[in-house]
Amino acid sequence: MKKTLQISTILLLVFLTEVSSQTIIPSWFKKLPDAPTGTMYAVGYCGKYQNENSAKKKAVDVALNTLAKQKSIHLKFYIEEINDGRMSLMNPIFQLIYEKDIFDEVRDNYSVVDSSITTDGYFVLIASPKTKKNVTSDDVNWGPPPDWIQNTPESEKWRYGIGIAAKYSTWTKAWRDTDEYARFDLGKNTSINTESIIVIRRTDRTGSHSKIMRQDYDMYFKDSIIVERYYDAKTNSYYSLCRAPQ
Amino acid sequence: MKKVIILALLVPFMFMMVGCGGAKPPTKMSNVPEWYLNPPSAEDAYYEAGDAAKQSMGLAKEAADARARDAISRTLEVKVSNMLKNFMQESGIGAEAEALEFTSSVSKQVANTVLTGCKIVKREMKQEGNIYHAYSLAEYNLNSLVQQTLNEARKQKALYNEAKANLSFEDLEKEVQKLEGVGK
Repeated sequence: MKKTLQISTILLLVFLTEVSSQTIIPSWFKKLPDAPTGTMYAVGYCGKYQNENSAKKKAVDVALNTLAKQKSIHLKFYIEEINDGRMSLMNPIFQLIYEKDIFDEVRDNYSVVDSSITTDGYFVLIASPKTKKNVTSDDVNWGPPPDWIQNTPESEKWRYGIGIAAKYSTWTKAWRDTDEYARFDLGKNTSINTESIIVIRRTDRTGSHSKIMRQDYDMYFKDSIIVERYYDAKTNSYYSLCRAPQ
Repeated sequence: MKKVIILALLVPFMFMMVGCGGAKPPTKMSNVPEWYLNPPSAEDAYYEAGDAAKQSMGLAKEAADARARDAISRTLEVKVSNMLKNFMQESGIGAEAEALEFTSSVSKQVANTVLTGCKIVKREMKQEGNIYHAYSLAEYNLNSLVQQTLNEARKQKALYNEAKANLSFEDLEKEVQKLEGVGK
């Protein structure tokens, strides 16, 4: 009985720590620094680990995938909503494709410019092509919510997309999804097909309002970079800001 | 006996608490962003708001964004349709069937075509119990509308020729170009 209680307590503590984590992060995870001309940065991460070497390898793999997606990505988005006034059915579909050639190219030519170990896991910052320049960073906390969470930045040079996610059991999956949602949002802010049909029925006694709405796009992006992230511990919500050239 | 009475009182009380916990809290008006109730207006852009309440934050955001964009699309269809109808009527061919078909076809195509540069510029997320209520404000710059309308009108050229052989296409372009003066 005692042993079961002890194991349950340990498991509960581990679970709670994983969920309510992310209090301290490297500054470049929160805000990506500007890379030297011709170079691109990407971050990678791994949750709690037993073996530091395997954690580093996992984090670097995540960073390489991120870098490949940043260089070139094919996004397909489709959303359909059927609403008859009593209930609403919504079905979004996200499809993300990136080329293995680009991934191989990145994998053969990158360098780790900084890394950080916190209570939450292992973080790396990589650069491609390889660079001798290193980045020094401090570990910071998230601070107050940035303005871009509510007001999409405006720029003549850049276009932006924001990803939002909440209630994830592990922060690594949360960031993976939030970053992708930010890319898809960038696509929607660029160009999207939209059509809808509204049907209004009225009789002497009743009225009903039905709507079918569809929106979709199929686009390629280059240089779509996750430049900022924010985590709201109060609501366990994750936010990512993606940026691409106009 | 005492124990039975206490238990009998506790059981319905527990059911009441469970029932109360499941009720959806109503939206407070103070939670609704001002820009949702009164979207901004500008000479050279359209603004439309959308909202959605879902149990998933991500889905609430997607739905609110999509509804705001859909509202822009519908506003565009009406705007383009009115613009073309005015032009046709001034040209004396407003009531002809082919003209109506041309107007309808072009305006529908514009509204159902790609919304280029329609951005979500403001967003707020409120939590109401277990429900996430997302509010989104979409902005569409009118400069995109001018070019899209001209492109679609050219695509429908055959239909346009059917409507009125003598009508100058240049006159239509001039009418549409007036929109470019908006906001300047």
